Amino acid sequence: MTAPRADEDALLRCAEEPIAIPGAIQPHGALLAVTEPDLAVVVASADAATLLGRSGGTLLDYLTDDDADRLRAALAGDLAEANPLRVQVDGADVDLVLHRADGLLISEWEPVAGAEEAGAAWHRRLPSVLQRLSASATLDELTEVLARDVRTLTGFDRVMVYRFDEAWNGEVIAEDRREDLEPFLGLRYPASDIPAQARALYTTNWMRIIPDAGYQRVPLDPPANPLTGRPLDLSGSMLRSVSPVHLEYLANMGVVSSMSVSLIDRGKLWGLISCHHYAGPHRPSYPDRVAAEFLGRTASLLLPTVVGAGETDGLVEVARRTAELTAAVGRTPRTPRALATALTEQDLTVLDLLPATGAAVRLDGQLRLLGTTPPAERVVLLVRALLDAGAGATDSASRLVPEGEGLAHTASGVLAVPVAGEDFLAWFRPETLREVTWGGNPYQSKTAQTDDGPRLSPRRSFAAWSETVRETSRPWREHEIAAAQALAGHLAAATLARAEEDNRLAGALQRTLLLEELPKVPGVALAARYRPSEDDVVGGDWYDLVPLPSGRVSIVLGDVAGHGLAAAAVTAQLRHALRANLLRADGPAAALDGLNEVIGALLPGEMATVVIAELDPETGGVVVASAGHLPVLHAGSGGAEYVMEGRGPALGVLDAPSYTETRLALAGDDRLLLFSDGLVERSVAGLAAGLDALRQAVDAGPADPQQLLDSVLGELNPPSTDDVTVLGVART
Amino acid sequence: MLFDIARTTIAGRPALTVRGELDLATAPRLAAAAEPLLTGSSDQLVVDLGPTKFLDSSGARTLMALARQARESGAELHVLVPLGNRPVRLPIDLLDLGAAVPVVASTAEIGTAVARKDAGT
Repeated sequence: MTAPRADEDALLRCAEEPIAIPGAIQPHGALLAVTEPDLAVVVASADAATLLGRSGGTLLDYLTDDDADRLRAALAGDLAEANPLRVQVDGADVDLVLHRADGLLISEWEPVAGAEEAGAAWHRRLPSVLQRLSASATLDELTEVLARDVRTLTGFDRVMVYRFDEAWNGEVIAEDRREDLEPFLGLRYPASDIPAQARALYTTNWMRIIPDAGYQRVPLDPPANPLTGRPLDLSGSMLRSVSPVHLEYLANMGVVSSMSVSLIDRGKLWGLISCHHYAGPHRPSYPDRVAAEFLGRTASLLLPTVVGAGETDGLVEVARRTAELTAAVGRTPRTPRALATALTEQDLTVLDLLPATGAAVRLDGQLRLLGTTPPAERVVLLVRALLDAGAGATDSASRLVPEGEGLAHTASGVLAVPVAGEDFLAWFRPETLREVTWGGNPYQSKTAQTDDGPRLSPRRSFAAWSETVRETSRPWREHEIAAAQALAGHLAAATLARAEEDNRLAGALQRTLLLEELPKVPGVALAARYRPSEDDVVGGDWYDLVPLPSGRVSIVLGDVAGHGLAAAAVTAQLRHALRANLLRADGPAAALDGLNEVIGALLPGEMATVVIAELDPETGGVVVASAGHLPVLHAGSGGAEYVMEGRGPALGVLDAPSYTETRLALAGDDRLLLFSDGLVERSVAGLAAGLDALRQAVDAGPADPQQLLDSVLGELNPPSTDDVTVLGVART
Repeated sequence: MLFDIARTTIAGRPALTVRGELDLATAPRLAAAAEPLLTGSSDQLVVDLGPTKFLDSSGARTLMALARQARESGAELHVLVPLGNRPVRLPIDLLDLGAAVPVVASTAEIGTAVARKDAGT
């Protein structure tokens, strides 16, 4: 294996190259570095005398009187706003671009002649381009618009949008190209293709252009900055000469001219707009390049929104399918055969629960397979080995356990959850390599085998990238694992209890509705107590904590009218539906509106009460909305008060109730109590007296939520005929 | 605990007077007693919760179901809950049940059958 060795050397050479201080520029312009305020030229590119018709002196000597005045005005203000100054040199238009670096004023002179100009027509269309960008609801739309419009603007043969993953491997996620070119969409590149120091440079300098990759470097004279004695810092320069390794890489791909614009999401390099030209040298004018950079900057601002929306959609979709499959389990007679059929032969199967290419259901020893999976005889061994190894969710099963050997093409990724005994549910993903779709053969460009040994080339890039992802699938995301576990929990309850009483089943089902452990939410102290009824009649209480993408957390307590299996099944559906609505809706009231629609459409005749408190752990701001539930109790230094605003009818009472919200602030030691009617309604003196007693108990109780709940339960001592749920919330 | 449903007449209309606790255990009995009155020869019914001591969510759901049945069969339903009966009035208010179930606080609000018919023609 000598070839990879040589590749590594090439990459290493590239990685060590001082790309910010090459001591040379590209020949499509000239560079003069001057001191301020005398503007005396101290460094000049070797082509300056030829291009500008003179040498030495001060910057003003190179300009007409009018242009010299404009330069003085520009230096007094913001240089970025002045760029470019279109000046006359020997009667020809030249774009003069200024920035400061290394204690010097750097002036770069780019002749307009020879540049392509998109012209006024394109710039007039800018508002509609911006409109299209900002109207994009998804990342796919945004990047497609970006690729298309940057290509229209700059005239490159190919414009790609390239996205980095966590390990800095890149993927082409959008492309616009000359029709006769092979598509590069979906191509992957290893992190080493764009070395770390280049990525660092791209985070500060948004735009690079190489009009002709076959150019001859133009050295700077003198090579060192006289102020510092070190090579001049060209990281902010538009004419900066690039790494020879990079030029070779472009040549290997048949690229004659290239340009790239950074895409930066909240200060971190997210991707690139990468432009290639094959037909010959290509140089869009400076104003057009600035316009392309502007599109890149605009898209960068939109990235957090569309990327976030995509992730939330994924969460909502999985939550919705969990609810549907849970409902299907609830409707099904509790025999293993019927349950397996419900999960594998209906319109919606376990394979649809989350993104995977194969799934397996093993109930009562019977195995059913869906989609693309390893052979049946190996599935059981593989899943058992992974579960025994404590690796229920892995993206590299074949590297983890010997039972996975040779299965990477179907089961690099395995998500397995036990149901009961030897039974399980499992989902499979192939190694990512298999998922890459080729629109054509990307290898047709000439691959250079130089005298120095092999260097970077697209083919080698892909091979290198393949090595990094071989036997590795896309990772399982947290909400996907949670959905799999929830479904397995419902199945476990159903299969476990099939020979027992309905109540026992409902009890098991309901226990899966209650959180075994409260999720840790930074800044929030939470406590929960659930006391089932002693009559073994299971109630419809549920509670939930839903961390929202905004950083807020929704605290939910609900109660479905009725008891037993039917109520528990309804509760399961409402809980999942409410989760989906909370993640999608604008606030708790909108989520209740959505949930009421679910009841109206899917569960006519059912009635439930829910209260939601949405807490912002940072500010202590709380938004409360209630659907017919007992009021939330807010205890602060001024005493304990029920929150009577933000209330609407119970779910299922009206078709379109339009819920309202109320806001309060959780300050200092304030506590918020959410509770089910079991805590107060059977009070000897009635519900109103029960509410009074609760308020007094909380007012006199300890501040810590855990201690407070114990104290309140002890004080009120609710009868054991109904189930009782209490949640306590405070800030830490 | 004593629970009992009596067939009575209120404001000249057929009525069911509910005594004791209307909850998970007893609500099905109210549903069974009311059904023939809502779907049979009579198109009027008063459910009298005056002597009812307790109402839970199952009882409330049964009242909603009765209101729906009444709407579907074109019958006129009133649920009588005096304001003084707080143990029953409070959950009804909390659930905003009045939005779906015609709750009245006194027989005066029901009007007589004759007056109602006059008003309607």
